[in-house]
Amino acid sequence: MKRTILLWISLALMVTALYLIFVIAPIERTMGIVQKIFYLMVPMGWLALLSFLVVFIGSILYLKKRSLRWDILSYSSAEVGVIFTTLALVTGSIWAKPAWGVWWTWEPRLTATLVLWLIYLTYFMVRSFATEESRGATFAAIVGIIGFIDIPIIVLATTLWRGLHPGALIFQGGLDPTMLLTLIISLLTFSTLYALILMQRISLKNNEVEIKRMKELSQPFN
Amino acid sequence: MKFWHQVISITWKDTFSEIRTREVISSVLVFTLLVIVIFNFAFGANQETLRLVAPGILWVTFTFTGVLSLNRAFIPEKEQGCLEGLMACPISREAIYVGKMLASLLFMLIIEAIALPVFAFLFNLPILTLPMVTITILATIGFVAVGTLFSALAINTRAREMVLPILFLPVMVPVIISAVNASKMALSGKPWSELASWIQIIGVFDIIFLVVSCLIFTYAIEE
Amino acid sequence: MENVSYVFVAFAIVWAVVFGYILLLLNRQRRLQQEIDLLKQRLEDRKSGD
Repeated sequence: MKRTILLWISLALMVTALYLIFVIAPIERTMGIVQKIFYLMVPMGWLALLSFLVVFIGSILYLKKRSLRWDILSYSSAEVGVIFTTLALVTGSIWAKPAWGVWWTWEPRLTATLVLWLIYLTYFMVRSFATEESRGATFAAIVGIIGFIDIPIIVLATTLWRGLHPGALIFQGGLDPTMLLTLIISLLTFSTLYALILMQRISLKNNEVEIKRMKELSQPFN
Repeated sequence: MKFWHQVISITWKDTFSEIRTREVISSVLVFTLLVIVIFNFAFGANQETLRLVAPGILWVTFTFTGVLSLNRAFIPEKEQGCLEGLMACPISREAIYVGKMLASLLFMLIIEAIALPVFAFLFNLPILTLPMVTITILATIGFVAVGTLFSALAINTRAREMVLPILFLPVMVPVIISAVNASKMALSGKPWSELASWIQIIGVFDIIFLVVSCLIFTYAIEE
Repeated sequence: MENVSYVFVAFAIVWAVVFGYILLLLNRQRRLQQEIDLLKQRLEDRKSGD
């Protein structure tokens, strides 16, 4: 029931967002139409961070309470998160080509996103390297906590590295109010989409756990 | 007070076994020197290039060294069953963390103390200055703060030696960036004010991760 | 590539990946549900058989 409502909300938001992006929002002076990728790129980056925040909270709760549902939350959010982080890198790269002429550049945001992507990867790797599943969950939780706390420091270091003062805005010249509205709607759209996908992934994971349990039940004498 | 007694005894135990055998410190030391020399062959066409890449070479070398020395902080213990024995004692997990962290810190600082002059000698750069020493000490603290946690985690996994660098390197990125940039400035003789922001980043990293790792450590080594 | 194409490619990739993933999840959900029903049936049979 909750999910159906969310589905309709996200569909409505998506249509609104697309309309705003392509019909209403003005074309930016210096960059032209390529700037519109921005309305994808920022939400992707935002979701990458939001997902990891959820991983962080889930990890702390898992370590404290030892209840499997928190691990399921963390794992699901990590899986969804790594997908969005990958998309953030891809859209960032597609933006970079017409904007700066190269497919990749070591500018602060892209670099920090790359490191975040790597941290997501280590989150999954440590699970597969563990000797048992519960150990894997604990270790992943540790990575989730350490990784998340590291993110602000990473952003700080990469921003300073490329010479930008950490308080610098994305655009010089501020943001046109229509653009701001479009951006906010895009963010909302993708956030609801994230919630939807996360819930779907969690119930899928719950089913996986359920099946495993039932398989063990149906073979009591191994 | 009891806490620090426990810490000191653990640190001393590790240090003492190292002093007696000297096997790890000599191999890590030789490795460090070799890496510096090989980097020189890789990059050092002329003095100009060397000057540019020197800070990077220095910190990549110390990163490799860090991984090696951190791996040895726990792996031999696990293999000889010392870790179980240690955990059976009424010692707080935090004390184990701090003790091991200090032992690794001491170990790495000794190696760096030898490697830095060699570096200065081979690269003709003013390494032995107060800024450089400060940067090295602070960055090393960062390394061992996170590294002790992750190497304790790594021993309970399958590909032990590989797990530590995989987990450890992305997290250390800000420290490495800051150390390299601060070193670059220190080697060019820039004043403290310019180095300040980099050193602050490393300092903040150290404090945050010392505390967090200490708190989480118990989950990494539990059975 | 013309600039507009970049915008198109970016949007296309994002939608493709997002909806592809959603479809993947829904598919696996369906298959897992079938498997759960099958296992439940088996457990029931075993219970009534004992």
